[in-house]
Amino acid sequence: MFAAFLLVFAFFAVVLHDDGFTSQTNLLNIVRQTAPITVMAVATVFVLSAGEIDLSLGSVVALSALVTAKVMQTQDAALAVAAGLGIGVGIGVLNGLFVTLLRLPSFLVTLASMGIVAGLARTVTDLQSIAVENATFVNIFGSGDVGAIPGLAFWGLGAVALGQFGFRHTRFGAHVVATGDNAGAARVAGIRVDRVKLAVLALSGAAAALAGILYTGRLEGATYTLGAQDLLVVIAAVVIGGTRLFGGEGSVIGALLGSLLLGMLTNGLILWGFSTAQQLIAQGVILLVAISLTLREPRRE
Amino acid sequence: MAVAVASCSSNEGASEGSLPIKSSRAVGATRGPHGERAIPTSALDLSPAEVAKVRSGHYTAALVWHEESDFTTAVTAGVRDVFDQLGIRLVAQTSANFDPAKQKSDLETVEAKKPSVLLSLPIDPVITASAYKAIAGQGTKVVLLSIVPQGMRPGRDYVDMITDDLFEMGKRAADALAAAVGDKGKVGYFFRDANSFVANQRDQAFLKTITANYPNVKVVARQGIADPNRSEELANAALTKNPDLDGVYVTFSEPPGEGVLAALHSTGNTKTKVVSLDLSEPMALDMAKGGPTFALIADRTYELGRAMATSAGYGLIGKRAPPFLVAPALTITKSNLVQGYRASLHRAPPASVTKALGQ
Amino acid sequence: MAAVASPLVRIEQLRKEFQAIVAVDELTLDVDSGEIVALVGDNGAGKSTVVKCLAGVHSPTSGRILLDGEPAHFSGPLDARGNGIDVVLQDLALADMQPVYMNVFLGRELVTGTLRRLDRRAMAAETGRLLDELGVHIDSPRQQIRSLSGGQRQGVAIARAMRWAQRLVLMDEPTAALGIAETERVEELIRRMRDQGRAILLVSHSLDQVFRLADRICVLRRGRQVGIRSTGETTGDEIVSMITGLR
Repeated sequence: MFAAFLLVFAFFAVVLHDDGFTSQTNLLNIVRQTAPITVMAVATVFVLSAGEIDLSLGSVVALSALVTAKVMQTQDAALAVAAGLGIGVGIGVLNGLFVTLLRLPSFLVTLASMGIVAGLARTVTDLQSIAVENATFVNIFGSGDVGAIPGLAFWGLGAVALGQFGFRHTRFGAHVVATGDNAGAARVAGIRVDRVKLAVLALSGAAAALAGILYTGRLEGATYTLGAQDLLVVIAAVVIGGTRLFGGEGSVIGALLGSLLLGMLTNGLILWGFSTAQQLIAQGVILLVAISLTLREPRRE
Repeated sequence: MAVAVASCSSNEGASEGSLPIKSSRAVGATRGPHGERAIPTSALDLSPAEVAKVRSGHYTAALVWHEESDFTTAVTAGVRDVFDQLGIRLVAQTSANFDPAKQKSDLETVEAKKPSVLLSLPIDPVITASAYKAIAGQGTKVVLLSIVPQGMRPGRDYVDMITDDLFEMGKRAADALAAAVGDKGKVGYFFRDANSFVANQRDQAFLKTITANYPNVKVVARQGIADPNRSEELANAALTKNPDLDGVYVTFSEPPGEGVLAALHSTGNTKTKVVSLDLSEPMALDMAKGGPTFALIADRTYELGRAMATSAGYGLIGKRAPPFLVAPALTITKSNLVQGYRASLHRAPPASVTKALGQ
Repeated sequence: MAAVASPLVRIEQLRKEFQAIVAVDELTLDVDSGEIVALVGDNGAGKSTVVKCLAGVHSPTSGRILLDGEPAHFSGPLDARGNGIDVVLQDLALADMQPVYMNVFLGRELVTGTLRRLDRRAMAAETGRLLDELGVHIDSPRQQIRSLSGGQRQGVAIARAMRWAQRLVLMDEPTAALGIAETERVEELIRRMRDQGRAILLVSHSLDQVFRLADRICVLRRGRQVGIRSTGETTGDEIVSMITGLR
């Protein structure tokens, strides 16, 4: 995976040398632009590794963003952020309760909640966009910098650092992969499989909400279409990064690289001056080559 | 009856004088986002000396679109043709698929190439405003299509804003629908139920014109369309409630107009005439086959692109452009369908349409 | 009665119902340390249900489980394990994509430091020692389970039981998926565990194996306890007739 990442990076660095691809601004742009995707990708590593999926991700982004922006019109920014995150966690927990208490597949539960949440997002503001003018909020979650590094990069990388620790170095992380690998074995081994599932879905809701808040900070406002295109990008980033779609194996660092790789592709192909149709084709081809080189499974005898 | 009227008209293209649809009194006018008076795009003009001045600058340009469709393709074609004359090189082109976050990223990415001009249709007037301000602050000349980001002022932050002659389009839709129902009958009004500068003005113009100028045409059903993708369901419900409508106005053709058409087809309704805005292949095809679609009101999309590119030239040499420009509207019926396609999108109609017309 | 030391495990009138179905009806059985007791019966006789009740996976509908004479209630598998009971299941219950050491420590991972980081190094080292001790040969304790052979996998499952079962090891068809040589190795491991003083409850379809390993044989038929025989005082024919109910 790392090889594919370097390959694409080196390729663009050479081809687009004169088009500003390697300029610091542009590289920071890529990190900034991918931050919300990276945050969601980290949580999705946990969800997929546990053998679950969260299709409601994109809708939660929109609803949390709108709730945050709306609450901020009349209340304190901290309260608005708490409300946005609370909505996300709440939806995640509800997803988790349906999956664990009624033993329903998360694919169907979150397919249903995806629709409900998308509908709610549309009703919250009656399809109107809300502007956010709170400078502190915008600074923390959007355009602000920490030294020379964009604040958004900190959120993204912070999520990766926490995620990596949680996934690789805690018992919870071990229980997540064991649950996705063989839920029966995990249960017999005394792992509270239902709690693991509930936790990863709640985590996913929280990450989607944070992504929504980051979008709100970055765009200085929220609208109901935010996040609508994110679900597949997030899943692609995670799977490219070496996480199994069906549970049992995952990589947080891989997800970061996957997210950056996809962001880099979009960015590089625009700088190259391709038309949008050419961009789509080139994106697909490069992706296919990169994953063929790195992700193919060796044939077993 | 309507079809018969249309077919006996001469076939001399998009010039509307030949159509049996009469033009009623204007009861309003298109206004810019800051209340500006609309100036026709034909007012834009660069002298040979000015063209040479632009050419000598070897400028670069970026196109940041909201989506990809027939519409953006035709605008882009108009832009490219004028850019060729002005010696402006297109260095980046993006499409955001209606995702404002993607559009903001696109703007940032494009900014790294430091284009001399940016031509764009902002998806959202509110939440991408900061990105447009940033790129304008960098010295890039901004030419806008249809939407002005909040807080941006013409002349200071952008060269000008170009859009359709919105009032004229709505008015023409009213004139066409009145002709379709023989100036008398019950009609439905399917309007855009969301904050949209373009759709709201067109819808209002239709409503004002039909009520003021056609007292015998009654708007008996109103249906707001908040989610264009659900138009067919909405249309089904509205048509079930009002099965005896003589005609309907639909805010734009793709997808709501197509949804209404599908609803009519599925209920076997051949009586209700449809008038909608913008060209769409399914509706043009229906019109060619003599279906319920009576007229489509279109803009000169290619002309929008030409005007944007010309405005870019204005910006680059510091020539003051009118802040708000509109491209003329077209009424397209079966009789001038081929010419209408050329005038609007600068291309031939789709093969299916040509075939249905027997050409 | 009171004068005699309590057996390590006593199952008293154990009953387990699943909705309308009685899976196990009134089972009473002792298993003492250093003893292998076999549980035999036809498919659906209730053997696995007994194992799962003892492992804390199911809770009995009625009846008691006594450990060293003290009544025990297991709220879950971890609880059973806390009481020194571990299980080697028919379907192995190994997580295929995880390393060997993770499987040995599944649910009871070792942690270190104030952040309670997983101590992968310690787990791998102890797993290596454990497998060496048992004579189970694998390349590395960091290997994924899916790269192992059937015998190696069963070796890992048994190693895990050895690591955690201080008192009772439950074995549900431990050799069902294995070849002849591998079966011999596993049987050797089972004997070794008994010799170390553990009590072993063995569920097996193979009467040959039962006669090779068990000290006593308990026969179940459709959830009912038919009888208990000492291996030395019975024959295969008698056990078969008890299993089938044909005399």
